[in-house]
Formats: sequence, structure tokens, C-alpha cells
Amino acid sequence: MQPLPLTEPVMLIMMSLAGQPRHGYSILKDVEQMSAGRVLLSTGTLYGALRRLLNDGWIERFEEDESPRGRQAYRLTAGGRRNLQTEVNRMKHLTRLASLRVAGKET
Amino acid sequence: MFSLYQCLLWLYPSSHRREYGEEMTAVFSAACAETKKKGALTRSLFWFREIRGLVAGALEQHVRSLLGSHSWVLLPTRRFMMHSEFRFPKATAILMTIILAGIVLAIEKAQAISASLPHSNPPVGPIQPWHLTFLPPVLLMFAFTYAAGLIGWAILFALKRSGVHRLSEMQGPAGR
Repeated sequence: MQPLPLTEPVMLIMMSLAGQPRHGYSILKDVEQMSAGRVLLSTGTLYGALRRLLNDGWIERFEEDESPRGRQAYRLTAGGRRNLQTEVNRMKHLTRLASLRVAGKET
Repeated sequence: MFSLYQCLLWLYPSSHRREYGEEMTAVFSAACAETKKKGALTRSLFWFREIRGLVAGALEQHVRSLLGSHSWVLLPTRRFMMHSEFRFPKATAILMTIILAGIVLAIEKAQAISASLPHSNPPVGPIQPWHLTFLPPVLLMFAFTYAAGLIGWAILFALKRSGVHRLSEMQGPAGR
């Protein structure tokens, strides 16, 4: 089971798949773009994370129809989307609280 | 260098290689083609990242296949879940990558030297034991690797015997 809170690479992979199904290289580039070049995944890290997410049922693998060589792509499952939403809510709460504390409005 | 990547894929368990090997190679190939347009530093960093990712990924997959659902005991997926004595310093991964890169470079260099030498070698006399200068370092390396493996196995065995992996399954008294 993916422990919560998610690590940043796993969070970014989930975010990448939340928009649309993607294949491996597309995830790699999207993560790089979303993090403004700060998070650069290696293929070993990417496929380790994808395997964990597949085993936990957060994502699913399917064969792309339009791909000439039957390329595999990944998409979020309903459970995965729910878990991502939970994590986003947790982070929202945390950032809101942090902003208030930093501004000194709440003690 | 592409063949080096495929060699490193053999570090993974066969199940992972069968399922993802081809896909990983295709993604690596696309990423590699893109870095070719960039500078030497970017390419070096890309290679360093890939080798480190493959070695760490292979280690993770082996631990997962060995310990199954209890792999969290050894895998630092969430550092706060681990006791401090189980943490590996970050330098270990870097050191292992440097050693691996050194071995690969040495092999490539040896192959280049071997290819450049003429095939008609002068006759060599009987080899005496004192000519085998490479033997002590090889034996030392073998002994070191064996000891490291033995220590690793002992740690895994001790963890399994101590039942530390069952701690997560323990529940508090009823009513709490």
C-alpha cells in the first residue's frame, strides 16, 4: 500500500495521470515540466513507482489503440483518483494553516 | 552505452524484466535521443541519474520480492517509518554508482587495449605463481563481496527472527 503522505515523485506521477492517460516517456516529460525541471525521474525510479501503484490498484495499464507497436499506457483508477483527492485536500489544509501561521493570524 | 543499460537491466528480478524491460528500454532510448542534442554535462548527469535509478530500483525490487508486504522494514519509501539504525547514508548510493562506473570503464578500457594489441603475441614462458599479480586483489575483492553478502543475509535473517516485521500487524487492546 502506498503510504500517505505521498512522496513528491509519486505525487507528480499521479498528477500527470490525473489529466489524461499517458505512456512512460510522456509521464517522464510531464513530471519534468510540472516541477519546472526540478524533479527529473530516471526510468528505474519511474517504473519502480508505476509497479507499486499498479500493485496497489491506484493505476491501471492498457495497450494504446493508436500506437503502432502496442505501446503500454497508464491511467488512474477510480480508487487512485479518490486517494489523490484525499492527498490534495490534506495538502490544501496544510498550506492554508501554514499561510495563516506564517502571517501570524492564528496561534 | 545503450548496451550498458541493457546489461544493467539484468540486475532486476526476472519477473520485473519480463514485464517492464522492453518498455523501460524504449523510454530510455527516447530520453537518451533527446539528451544527445544537449551538452556533455547534461548527458553525464542523465547517465548518472539513470545508473543510480537502475541500481536503486533493482535493489528495491529484490527486497520487495524477498520480503513481500514486509519490505517497508528495509525500503526507505518513507524515512520516518524507519529506525535510525536502518538508514543508509545517501553517500552509499553515490559510492556504489562510482564503483560501478569505474568497473564499467575499466572493462571498456581493457577491451580497447585488447583490440589494439597485435594478435601475434611473443611466446610466453611458463607462468609462475609470482607472476599472478592480479590474484591477491581479486581474492580480496571476492572475500569483501562475500563478507558483505553474508552481513546482508545475517541482517535479514536477524530481522525475520526478531519478528520486527509483525509490529505493524499488532493491534492495541480492545476498546481503545
